[in-house]
Amino acid sequence: MKTYVAQRLVIALLTLLGMSVVIFALLRLAPGDIVDILFSTAGYVSPSEKQAIMKELGIDRPYWVQYVDWIRQMLTGDLGKSYRYDQPAWQIIRPLVPVTLELAALSTLFAVLIGVPTGVISAVRQDTTLDYVLRLFSLAGLSMPAFWLAMVIILCLVTWLAWIPPLSYVSPFEDLKLHAVQFLLPALAVGYRSSALIMRITRSSLLEVMREDYIRTAWAKGQTGRVVIWRHALKNALLPVVTVIGIEFAFLIGGLVVTETVFNLPGVARFLVQAILWRDYPIVQNLVMFIAVVVILSNLLVDMLYGVLDPRVRYGG
Amino acid sequence: MSRVRVALLSITILALAAVLLAPATSQSQSPHASQTPKSGGVLNMMLREDLSQGFAVHETATISTVWPAMPCLNNLVLFDPLKKTESVDTIIGELAEKWSWQDNYRNLVFFLRKGVKWHDGQPFTAKDVKFTFDMLREAPDAPAKLRINPRKDWYANVEAIETPDTFTAVFRLKKPQPSLLLMLASGYTPVYAAHVPPADYRTNCVGTGPFKVKEWRKGEYVEYVRNPDYFVKGRPYLDGLKYFVIVERGTRQAAIQAGKLDVSFPGETSKTAAEQLKKAVPQLVITPASQNVADNIIMNMKKPPFDNLKVRLAVSHAIDRRALIQAVQQGGAVGGAGLAPKPWGFWGLAEKDLVGLPGYGAKPADDKALAKKLMAEAGVSREKPLKVEIVTRAIAVYVDMASFVINELKQIGIEATLKQIETAQWHAMATRGDYQIGANLTGIGPDDPDANYYENYACGSPRNYSQYCNEEVMKMIDAQSQELDAKKRLALNFAIQKKLEADAARPILDWKLDYFTVWPHVKNLIPHQSIYNFGRMQEVWSDK
Repeated sequence: MKTYVAQRLVIALLTLLGMSVVIFALLRLAPGDIVDILFSTAGYVSPSEKQAIMKELGIDRPYWVQYVDWIRQMLTGDLGKSYRYDQPAWQIIRPLVPVTLELAALSTLFAVLIGVPTGVISAVRQDTTLDYVLRLFSLAGLSMPAFWLAMVIILCLVTWLAWIPPLSYVSPFEDLKLHAVQFLLPALAVGYRSSALIMRITRSSLLEVMREDYIRTAWAKGQTGRVVIWRHALKNALLPVVTVIGIEFAFLIGGLVVTETVFNLPGVARFLVQAILWRDYPIVQNLVMFIAVVVILSNLLVDMLYGVLDPRVRYGG
Repeated sequence: MSRVRVALLSITILALAAVLLAPATSQSQSPHASQTPKSGGVLNMMLREDLSQGFAVHETATISTVWPAMPCLNNLVLFDPLKKTESVDTIIGELAEKWSWQDNYRNLVFFLRKGVKWHDGQPFTAKDVKFTFDMLREAPDAPAKLRINPRKDWYANVEAIETPDTFTAVFRLKKPQPSLLLMLASGYTPVYAAHVPPADYRTNCVGTGPFKVKEWRKGEYVEYVRNPDYFVKGRPYLDGLKYFVIVERGTRQAAIQAGKLDVSFPGETSKTAAEQLKKAVPQLVITPASQNVADNIIMNMKKPPFDNLKVRLAVSHAIDRRALIQAVQQGGAVGGAGLAPKPWGFWGLAEKDLVGLPGYGAKPADDKALAKKLMAEAGVSREKPLKVEIVTRAIAVYVDMASFVINELKQIGIEATLKQIETAQWHAMATRGDYQIGANLTGIGPDDPDANYYENYACGSPRNYSQYCNEEVMKMIDAQSQELDAKKRLALNFAIQKKLEADAARPILDWKLDYFTVWPHVKNLIPHQSIYNFGRMQEVWSDK
């Protein structure tokens, strides 16, 4: 197990290294002159001003020097300085991270709380009216884009209640109830869509397991439905579900752009899009690396969970 | 899980949501009339993007910086916040207590206020004035240099700035320029502190203004608190200001509708949006105001086919301005030429003067026929159409206008394809002249001819995107700039505007209107004829 984890961590480091090259190169390949873009609000940047700015930002140096410098900075915990804000990138990124992590975690929690039970019910009551209703419910979730649902929620709130969630981040230490309100609605909007996927995977996986011999044996032994379904069937059906949950969580870290934008939550995804538009290299590079780390770690966690859920899974040394 | 349990789970989630939402929905607005200013309260406002370059107004050219930075800073002079019209008669002193033109408008002398303190406690003196304007005009001996200086041209006529004593500053001009005072009264012209490096304004604001920065949470909000040491006794009325960054337009509108925000963003509210808001919340106060922003067509005169005056004029004649105002702006704009017309502006050609200019014919069909004739003379016919690429910024208001223009051009044998350019690349592309024809918006700081002409029509100006250069017009521009008689200056300006349209230098399509929206408890926040000049918030109070 330890060897396996160590191997995975080494692979993760290599993946991150590869990611760093890709993101560094892609940013430089993007069309447009970085100084013109960064300072487009000034309307015009003269050639002499441009030269001075490039020197000031250190982007007049060869690409490989800039890359090595960035990696060196990351290894020493210094994420560089934001071009747009003229401040250490870490100071800007730090408050964004908990917002996105919390929203993604809460959304995933809602997705699991809605998706797994409805998937089980749908499988157990296969081809009944309840099954059809639940499948329709999940199909609707898959069909409705999160941004559309988010905007509809906002419009309904403002039309019916003349109220919308707070416009800036409310810390749980400041006001727990308002904090919960702020995250509940976007998490439900995002979680509903994810729950639809989880529900469908749970249903199909459970239906497959329910046809296995050992389930028939369990029924033959006279065990109750609860024991057969929840202890024997569901546990064995959960592997693909866990995989989907892991993928969804990882996706949400970078994929909450529209939800964060509509609900005006100052998270990683919304800020990343703005930073890409401004070509704020230090912010973009480090945020993408953060997302990559979360994706790798959540994949590792899912792999570890396989062993917990299914004792037959062995980790090669 | 049984059906009953599923139902219970659903009810529990809904109940939880209802309990959490209940207290928050109890907010109510109950404005009551009162004309005596009250002190106290915090005003909540919106920003559509975070501050570009922080509070460094001198390094940007966007309302997204000027609007939220103005409360921190002061000018020498400012357009009276309580008067809608901006002219030389509505200028009031800020850091300058008095001012005087001397030597036939060659010297502008400012007598500065005493006892004014910067937010860090340092005293304000003439040294700060000299520091700021030497830096802006890039004097050889300037003690500091801006990273970017977008309005350097405004000060091209300033020869020297002298400070005979601690509280007097003299602007010595190369030639008379009465309009310099109007540019100094713009929100784009604050005084910086000489003891603070200009770069520091990108991250913080040391001003003398009515409000002090409390916190700038990047990408989220800027918060101000009242400056207790403000030099105007009893001002500001408000205890604080908070500007929320809300990128999504729908959320911004919902926030003002829900009463989370008290004020709309200048230039943000279209006529249609205003009508929707008014329908939803009848008590909202909506004031139509000029944006001092014009829809226009830029044509690259250095490249065929738009180096040909006949082709440019044909384009201008082809675009039916009145139809555009109705179809694209839903009536939320007015016709005009190079400067905004009355009552929205001061210098623009009136409706009656527009008749006869391209696109303003009594019958649109006559304009189209003339356009076709001009195209034929330029060698373009239905059999041999002219194919061009029309560029525009990838923003809805630009694309809508460009789409209308494409349809109009098609009717005179110009087949135009639309190319959308990312905002960040737009200005650089236009300055390089890397286009054939474009649908553009031009915003002007103060409603003054100098601010517009020297930037957008002068030979060699980087913002002169069409690369138009006419020596005769330049002489006229210089003449109006130096003209001391107001009536003569106005007449000269009418002539210049007609000449610019006749040359199709940058055909103006319309002047956009803003439907500035506030809740009724917001008092003394009066939109001006330019969106860039009324954000000081010194006189604003809340009747909540």
